[in-house]
Amino acid sequence: MKNKLTLYRYTRILLFYGVGLFLNLSNLYSQEGASSLFAEANKAYNEANYSDAVARYKQILAEGQHSAALYYNLGNAFYRLNQVAESIYFFEKAKQLDPENQDIQVNSLFAQNMTIDAIEPLPRSQLAQLQITLFDLFELDRWAQITLVLLWAFVFLFLGYLITQNSSHKRNFFFLSIAVFLLFIGTFSISYFKDRAAKQNKYAILFSKQIDTWSEPNQQGDLLFLLHEGTKVQLLDSLSEWQKIRIANGSEGWLKNAELRKLN
Amino acid sequence: MIKRKTLYSFLLLLIGFTFSLQAQVSFDAKVSKKRLGLNERLRIDFIMNENGDNFIPPDFNNFLVVSGPQQSVNRSWVNGVSSFSKTYTYFLTPKSKGILRIGQAQITINGEVYKTSPVEVQVTEAVKKPNDPDNIDYLTDENIHLIAEISNNSPYLNEGISVVYKLYFRNPISINDVQELESPTYGDFWSSKINIGRIQVDPRGQYKGEPYNEVVWQKVVLYPQKSGKLTIEPLTLNLQLSVPSNRRDLFGRRILKQGQKTITSGRRTLNVKPLPTSGQPENFTGAVGQFDFDVILSKDALKASESFQAKIKVSGKGNLNLFQLPEINVPNTLEVYEPERKETIKTTLSGTEGTVEENYTIVPQYQGKYPIPPVAFSYFDPKAKNYKTVRSQELLVDVYEGPTSGMTNTSPVPTSTRTPLTASEGAFRFIQLETDFKPVITKAFWMSKRFWLLFILPFVLLLLGYSINRFVIQKSKDSASNKQRLAEKLAKKYLSSAKKAFGNQVAFYEALERALHNYLKAKLKIETIELSKTKIAELLENKKVDKVIATEFIAVIENCERARYAPESEGSIQTDFEKASRAMAMIDRQL
Repeated sequence: MKNKLTLYRYTRILLFYGVGLFLNLSNLYSQEGASSLFAEANKAYNEANYSDAVARYKQILAEGQHSAALYYNLGNAFYRLNQVAESIYFFEKAKQLDPENQDIQVNSLFAQNMTIDAIEPLPRSQLAQLQITLFDLFELDRWAQITLVLLWAFVFLFLGYLITQNSSHKRNFFFLSIAVFLLFIGTFSISYFKDRAAKQNKYAILFSKQIDTWSEPNQQGDLLFLLHEGTKVQLLDSLSEWQKIRIANGSEGWLKNAELRKLN
Repeated sequence: MIKRKTLYSFLLLLIGFTFSLQAQVSFDAKVSKKRLGLNERLRIDFIMNENGDNFIPPDFNNFLVVSGPQQSVNRSWVNGVSSFSKTYTYFLTPKSKGILRIGQAQITINGEVYKTSPVEVQVTEAVKKPNDPDNIDYLTDENIHLIAEISNNSPYLNEGISVVYKLYFRNPISINDVQELESPTYGDFWSSKINIGRIQVDPRGQYKGEPYNEVVWQKVVLYPQKSGKLTIEPLTLNLQLSVPSNRRDLFGRRILKQGQKTITSGRRTLNVKPLPTSGQPENFTGAVGQFDFDVILSKDALKASESFQAKIKVSGKGNLNLFQLPEINVPNTLEVYEPERKETIKTTLSGTEGTVEENYTIVPQYQGKYPIPPVAFSYFDPKAKNYKTVRSQELLVDVYEGPTSGMTNTSPVPTSTRTPLTASEGAFRFIQLETDFKPVITKAFWMSKRFWLLFILPFVLLLLGYSINRFVIQKSKDSASNKQRLAEKLAKKYLSSAKKAFGNQVAFYEALERALHNYLKAKLKIETIELSKTKIAELLENKKVDKVIATEFIAVIENCERARYAPESEGSIQTDFEKASRAMAMIDRQL
């Protein structure tokens, strides 16, 4: 009995340390300079020196630091400066880092209001919606961490199953380990598909004030529709100065010399 | 005979009558004079006494047709005799001197074609004073002129031009009445007549440097809708004139002669230039002229669901009502209604001028800031001969109060009856003040080396644990079998002395019994005391040895005691030995 208790304790300690290690390593770099710049920029924003605030926020970015709040604040500052495309771009960046944040959602809508085009997004099936909510629950690396934690938990539980002599404990260990293993398979595949989706779906924000969309990458094709700045587009193919895009309502077309800023 | 005679005479009469009918059709050409000066006029009448059609005039090669054909029909019925005549009249001016020939005219009367005989006239040197100065035609030709003044003979497409019809006349002619016989048509033009009100005679007009009375008959502004050669159909006026005659009345005043005169302005051709295609802006909708352009908002700060007006205004001079105004383009969340068009246009000789406005009513639905992007308006300036584009300023509408858009769509607000969204919740949110920075460029943990290391490691651990586990169990199993082996060795040691005495029955059983006793003592770790069967049974029971095995063991001991005193067969020795070794092995496993 005493043996088993210590085993539990060790497993728990190891798990905690494992997660703690993953979480903290990346934060070790956070810098004092960035924080003070951030505070200054926030002050400038509050005093309505929006362009000043933008310059400071951008300085943080130039130093190679970022965060959802930084992008969010940049989006706000650009919104105040009436720069639609910039504002939407940074709100989208913020959403990437923190998909569920309410502040970002709300202010992003304000920015969307400033755009000219009304693009009705394609309705998603409930399953697809569920998938997106599940995928957006955590960032990719967090999913990877969870996958590993589950894997370790499984291994320890399975070892427990192997080591214990007592048959009832053995059974508990066995079923628990199988359950954890199934969870592990689930999170692993979520991480895998999320990664693949991120690699395949490249998005960008249109910065051109107004641009024609053609059916073919040449002027002989038909003129399809007109896009205005601030539209989020999915990048498909490209051919010299032409770029094929898809917008939220599923329409596709070619843009010539479009000013696009990639989101990822 | 008489009967016959009368019949003949009747027939003859009939034939003669028909002949006389035939002979009555005449078609002649009559000239007013056979001899005339170069600067004089010739009148030629083609007269027929039956109505005919398909009149083909001769080729007036050597003459200029001053006017005509004028057609007149005269029918009279006098004393039961009807007379009919139809006349085509031309006024001609000779082109050259000499004997000029006027060819045959042709007419179809009752299905037959009649021709006039050609006429020859002699044209002499110009006479100083044309004959018959009192002739109305001569007088009117000299003293009445109808002119179409066109401001620009080669305008651009859609460039406004003006046409003014002016009637000039001078003494001794006075005009009593004017009738418009033929109004000009402007097929390929957008036209707008300028109202000139009552017709007034301006006695101070000038025509070719000479004083005339001037009447402005009509003013039109035209916008050509087609490029190329366009014609303006002539204006034809019929004038009632009074011309003084040679005769004088009682008081010595000249008697005025009444006359009629048809006068035409002549056909005019314009050469309309197309607009240049090079440098034509994309948003050009056909505006030609000089314009100002602006977009004006009625308010720039309001609450949601209030409305404001965006006015697109073009003012200036040009084809104001012939082009489309540019459309306004506003953010999608603003509700825009169909524009209301308002035109205040004045047409003057220099073209139409004024303003055209389109008023959009816009209702914002949600709060926020809405930029109204610049609207561009392009027009062609025919004076500068190039295209010009005017852009309005970018405007901003601030909607400061109202619901926030899309809130219900994206974030599931719990059934709004319970927690209604207040204005503060829907407002634009403030920046976030706390954050943890991360490096922008991070190596993705997913699929990184560290990830794989941490991924592989547990499997290694699992393998390791499993193998260790296997090894430990194996070891313990091995130790158990060692014990077994030791016990068997012990049993064999005791049994070996018994085995040696296999031939001697008494010695064998003594040895066997001793071996069993010794084995038990060694196994149960007891000192050599006398072991009775009951004692053994008790001991074995204490050690929780199976009862069956215990009884078998005791049975072997009993057998041994019995066999010492009662001799047994060879075979039982063998079976007893086996029984004993089996019982030992069994106990060994149990203890």
